[in-house]
Amino acid sequence: MLRNYIKIALRNLSRHKVYSFINIGGLAVGMAVAILIGLWIWDELSFNKSFKNYDKIAAVWQNQTFNGFKGTQRAVPYVLGDEIKAKYGSDFKYVTMCSWEGEHALSYKDKKLLPRGNFFEPQVTEMLSLTMLKGSRDGLKDPSSILLSASLAKSFFGNEDPMNKVINFQNRFDLKVTGVYQDLPYNSEFTNLKFIIPWKKFIDDQHWEEKETNPWRNNSFICYAQIADNADMEQVSKKIKNVKLNKVTKEDAAFKPEIFLHPMRNWHLYSNFENGVNNGGRITFVWLFGIIGLFVLLLACINFMNLSTARSEKRAKEVGIRKAVGSLRSQLISQFFSESLLVTLFSFVLALVIVQLSLPLFNGIADKKMQILWANPLFWILCITFSLFTGIVSGSYPALYLSSFQPVKVLKGKLRAGRLASIPRKVLVVIQFTVSIVLIIGTAIVFRQIQHAQNRPVGYSREGLIYVPIFSETICSHYNALRDDLLKTGMVTEMAQSSNPSTDLWAVNNGYEWKGMQPGEQGNFGTVAVSHDFGKTIGWQLKEGRDFSRVYPSDTTAMIINEAAASFMHLKNPVGEIVKCDGQPFKVIGVVKDLVMTSPYEPVFRTVFMLNYNWASVFNIKINPDKSTKEALAAIEVVFKKYDPGSPFQFRFIDQEYASKFNDEQRIGKLASIFAVLAIFISCLGLFGLASFMAEQRTKEIGVRKVLGATVFNLWGLLSKDFVLLMVISLVFSTPFAYYFMSQWLQKFQYRMEISWWIFALAGIVAVGIALLTVSYQAIKAALANPVKSLRTE
Amino acid sequence: MIRLKDISKWYSNGSAKAHILRHIDIEINEGEFVSIMGPSGSGKSTLLHLMGMIDDPSEGEYFFEGESVFTLKEKQRSELYKKHIGFVFQAYHLIDELTVYENIETPLLYHKISSAERKAMVADILDRFQIVGKKDLFPEQLSGGQQQLVGIARAVITKPKLILADEPTGNLNSKQGEEIMDLFTRLNKEEGVTIIQVTHSEKNASYGSRTINLLDGKIAL
Repeated sequence: MLRNYIKIALRNLSRHKVYSFINIGGLAVGMAVAILIGLWIWDELSFNKSFKNYDKIAAVWQNQTFNGFKGTQRAVPYVLGDEIKAKYGSDFKYVTMCSWEGEHALSYKDKKLLPRGNFFEPQVTEMLSLTMLKGSRDGLKDPSSILLSASLAKSFFGNEDPMNKVINFQNRFDLKVTGVYQDLPYNSEFTNLKFIIPWKKFIDDQHWEEKETNPWRNNSFICYAQIADNADMEQVSKKIKNVKLNKVTKEDAAFKPEIFLHPMRNWHLYSNFENGVNNGGRITFVWLFGIIGLFVLLLACINFMNLSTARSEKRAKEVGIRKAVGSLRSQLISQFFSESLLVTLFSFVLALVIVQLSLPLFNGIADKKMQILWANPLFWILCITFSLFTGIVSGSYPALYLSSFQPVKVLKGKLRAGRLASIPRKVLVVIQFTVSIVLIIGTAIVFRQIQHAQNRPVGYSREGLIYVPIFSETICSHYNALRDDLLKTGMVTEMAQSSNPSTDLWAVNNGYEWKGMQPGEQGNFGTVAVSHDFGKTIGWQLKEGRDFSRVYPSDTTAMIINEAAASFMHLKNPVGEIVKCDGQPFKVIGVVKDLVMTSPYEPVFRTVFMLNYNWASVFNIKINPDKSTKEALAAIEVVFKKYDPGSPFQFRFIDQEYASKFNDEQRIGKLASIFAVLAIFISCLGLFGLASFMAEQRTKEIGVRKVLGATVFNLWGLLSKDFVLLMVISLVFSTPFAYYFMSQWLQKFQYRMEISWWIFALAGIVAVGIALLTVSYQAIKAALANPVKSLRTE
Repeated sequence: MIRLKDISKWYSNGSAKAHILRHIDIEINEGEFVSIMGPSGSGKSTLLHLMGMIDDPSEGEYFFEGESVFTLKEKQRSELYKKHIGFVFQAYHLIDELTVYENIETPLLYHKISSAERKAMVADILDRFQIVGKKDLFPEQLSGGQQQLVGIARAVITKPKLILADEPTGNLNSKQGEEIMDLFTRLNKEEGVTIIQVTHSEKNASYGSRTINLLDGKIAL
């Protein structure tokens, strides 16, 4: 019996190739989207889960209150770790301070590399359960040791034994390799951690202990901890709340520092804080894409139902005959279910193929390394459950509806679908297009917003601007000679150093005071140390006053502020005012137009620029626009090698760095547009099916009208009119949804576009256009048919 | 074998009733070959469908082999139907997606007959109807007469006691029609199958042993 069902199902599929293509193809695309999104969600949810102590690890963060607003930051004082260990030792298994992970110049003999790494306390190896391939987890006990990841050890030593080899760190000190650990998995916080150096070496080398008269003031370090096995994350977090407050000066207590634990399970998906309260983060995207995936799958299921029922008239005869030769209704139901399950099975296999083929592309867009989880039983259980569910849901309507036909009526041709028969199908099409139009509008708004922010004036010129990170202090002492040499090449028009590149703001200082400062007001300003030529190099625009100049030696106690800073301080004539920084007076000599240094979606942060040659992190270089970039870079490299032969020459283009600020949004936009296109595609398949059904239904009407003198154009209009109406209804339904969701999304950007009506109009025109194209094929085919033929079939 | 008692059927059309059949009483014995005749709309086909249990009357009683059909549950009625009745349609009604062989086999699937037995039965009937050479063709590849032969083969393969034929020659030319009527006659005479046919043609009616004339839903005397 089952064989007979399968046989007839297969014959039906191969006989009606277009329908089968729409059915299987549409469902497969829907399933592929659902699987891809499922894999993406799986990947997001499994972030950091590879750590054995996942549930017990936390980052130690702090909240501080500035001007009545609670700000959350990961940066803490370097003495915090020891203080926690001393006061709350029993609540923690491990506590480790560290610096910021970053690129550092390591060298072994002639080999110079720029891997990312960090400084940790020795217990980090236990906390992260590092798998040691060489040496042991005790490898960081000696302050002059270094642990390498397997990949870095390989790059340095090839097949040689790395143990006890001596590696030089940025021309500053030597370190002995005491262990090699397996690289950490890609979807984890520490995936780029390629080497670990003891924290003590960092503290000693930078002389933090001597430099900091009050170590509780400098929040420049990171702290991780693992709570005791029996401890509760939330309780411990509450317990340590005041650990910093108890140590700071009375003035600093005004910032109300609150220390808390940010658990590892929240790092990736719940990393946003507003006014000290966790308010999600990437989890929004997990939900968003989850919902989109379900919707696309739903669209595909709707298609399946729509097409199956549209074809019901053809199958009705078979149902009648089968009943007349003795089939029970239940047998027919199981026949139709086995058919829909068969189609689902085909679609599932096809979906797996599509997923496998499109994963590289999808990974590229999503910036992931996902694979189909062939070996994961959960994956199969989910997929098979899903397929069964899809098969049963999409097969239920035809199965239950077709099997209820009365044989006599069907066989006598009395079963003519009435005027209302297409209503459920129309409702389904409206649902499909409502979802599709919401996706179109959403995608359009995402891209418009990105464009809006990209077009924002940044206040300086990114063209031909590069920056070179400083890895060794030796080169700074030759600043003037380096600058002269670079200018002499003719490849460079200007060059300056600064404490951060113009695409970022690395330091916020809160010790500022100014005239008219209100009691209770706290002066925290972005602070950038620059050399004299910084302004000329990046091309900032002075609004008032003048730039730093070598002509005025007193400029070492001068500052240039941006417009945001001037308005924050309520200074009517800022130039000439005295602003104190940590008690020292500085004279404001100029105001520059706001420079967009941080997020292009946020208002520009109040920022102060000061002359300081001892605090430099990058060299900013403006390439001569008349020279080719390639030549210029080669010439610049030569000069750098002359002054710093020990470090690799590394540079970044400012325009690329700036563009990377849009990566996240662009990624979301690209993914959303792909899903929108697929949703439209699937919906069109459904529409095509519906159109062919309606054309078939109206064969007689069309024949009669034609005999009475209707032209092909008249008939095309007649058949297409209904569909245009469906599109208009869909547009009406989708507009409020799209408007609501997208204005919610835009809320998270301070610098945002206005949603204008034309986006909705455009989406409507696109939808109507696509629908007309889809429907016209059927409409014209029906209109061109010979009326004699169509009337005879009656 | 068949006893219809005071059968009426009507459709409600608003407040008015449109009668199809009025107070029909018929008795048909096993082995008879009955023709039902009458003009279009006289209720012939409806009567046939009622006897074939694929339609219900508005009132009246129906005894098949002494069992009251309309009081049976769907499953029991289906069993009774499957066991005893074969249907032949004017438009043949073969399943387009199945071959001749498979079309004939289909009722056997619903009778839960084993695969080996099915093969034997289908082979036997193909042989008897001399359509062995056509067994792998699809319906659309056959002429009307051949399709109707397959339709009859499908109806008789379950060895029913009763064959109901709804204008079996209506779509055929006269020569094909004669062949089909000869086949019915043979089935009736040689195998004792009761046959009830609806027909427009006096000539076809003459093959039968008795004719029932219907006019406006009533038996015309």
